[in-house]
Amino acid sequence: MPSKDKGHSSITSTDQEMVLSSLEPEQLAGLKKHLIPRRHLIGPEKFVLWSLRIYLLFMIVVVIYQVWASLH
Amino acid sequence: MGAGPLSRAKAQGVTQADVVITHEDVDRAHDRVRVSAARAQRGTFSKFRLLWLLVGPGILVMLGENDGPSMISYAATGARFGIGFFLPFVVLTFCMAIVVQEMTMRLGSATHRGHAELIFDRFGPFWGWFSMIDLGIGNFLTLITEFIAIRAGLGFFGVPPWAAVVSALVFLCLAIMTHRYWTWERTLLAIAVFNLIFVPVALLTHPNWHSVGSALITWKPLPGGLSQDTLIIVLADIGATVTPWMLFFQQSATVDKGLTRKDIHLGRIDTVVGAALAATAAVATIIATAPLFAHHMTAENFQGAEFAQALQPLIGRFGAALFALGIVEAGMVASVTISMSSAYAFGEVARRPHSLNLPVGQGKAFYSVLFLCAATAGAIVLIPGLPLVYVVLLVNVVAVLAMPPALVFLFMLANDREVMGDLVSPTWANILATCVVVFLTLAGVLFGVSVIAPNVFALLGGK
Repeated sequence: MPSKDKGHSSITSTDQEMVLSSLEPEQLAGLKKHLIPRRHLIGPEKFVLWSLRIYLLFMIVVVIYQVWASLH
Repeated sequence: MGAGPLSRAKAQGVTQADVVITHEDVDRAHDRVRVSAARAQRGTFSKFRLLWLLVGPGILVMLGENDGPSMISYAATGARFGIGFFLPFVVLTFCMAIVVQEMTMRLGSATHRGHAELIFDRFGPFWGWFSMIDLGIGNFLTLITEFIAIRAGLGFFGVPPWAAVVSALVFLCLAIMTHRYWTWERTLLAIAVFNLIFVPVALLTHPNWHSVGSALITWKPLPGGLSQDTLIIVLADIGATVTPWMLFFQQSATVDKGLTRKDIHLGRIDTVVGAALAATAAVATIIATAPLFAHHMTAENFQGAEFAQALQPLIGRFGAALFALGIVEAGMVASVTISMSSAYAFGEVARRPHSLNLPVGQGKAFYSVLFLCAATAGAIVLIPGLPLVYVVLLVNVVAVLAMPPALVFLFMLANDREVMGDLVSPTWANILATCVVVFLTLAGVLFGVSVIAPNVFALLGGK
């Protein structure tokens, strides 16, 4: 039988049956501890991610400058 | 007993000993039993019941994004530019929101994982933390503006700032203390629909429907042409519709609600209905404040309540009170959804229990993050002398700037066959998503150019 956590002693066997018959396995909170395998990023993907990261940092500087300019 | 789920779980290398049933699972299972029962029945009523059971995250995220700063941005738009270019533009931004949010709903339904969790698992902590920092800073700044809106809106009725902040925090606590996703969702939906309060306010201004229709078709006029001020409003209006927290919230709420692959079609309807409702409220707000433009009233220093006060001579005390209430409602609902977005992301990244189905004892970290984010933002709003409207517009601008990196992660996940299987984005969805990323990036670049080299606009024929 599937186990119950220490803090879940009020869960009945009927509850367990309902959970197992109505939820998909990936929906069970306990099974979400299993990590999804890491994806290897290829060159163009890294390029896009870094470009957008630099874009964001640059634009934040622009916003800060705009705030500074409007305050002066 | 449970042969289906467990056998599938075993196929994934999961043994029975691995399966720990929690209260969160039991509550979600109750919801899914009702969905299965409605799906098994035939007839129009059953179809509507199924739709009723499955709507929620899409409507909440869209009406939640019609938050305090968004409504103030729309109000500023109407007051500065009247009825014209910005009416169809706002409708376009909601179309972009549908394209983006559909992907998060599909991801959540297919993987049963939150957005932060997926980014960390698939791309690793390096990119995951970048994403979290963007979300954390953006959410916190936005939360501050929600409290600004609540404070300003309640200020119209003479409520002192500290009482406004406390009442918002009490509302937040009441909203989450049900410890049941379903109850929380239905309660918040009922309150969020009050976002449409801006429709009667717009009607009270007796708008020129010919001008409204003409603007929606021709995208004109755009008083003042292309200028830095116009660009700030353009970015603020985009930021009022598509922001990073929406991606994280809808995917996490979809998972918490328990949607599955079978529900994706109705999840799309949920998203579209939400966008339609939110677009209606946004357009109504622009129409409602357009008389301020027609009467040449400056909106430079308006806060939420001051828009209401400015409208009072034109639409009466009742109409102005409705407007102020609308601003309060927008801030209240969004303060809950945005705090939720932060708490979900924290739980996913820290691998702590994160669900509204959790009792407080089992979700201490989740509920603590939720409340502390809101309480800190509320405290900051009580600092005297903050340039509130400027802060509001800037927060929306920052949200737009943070969107392209967030969208690329979403785009890559939605096209990741190992994660999505046969639910990867179709070509047409990828084309639309690419257009949204390019559009948002160009809008940000244009804003940057307008700040660094404002003379460029003069060369382009603007001001």
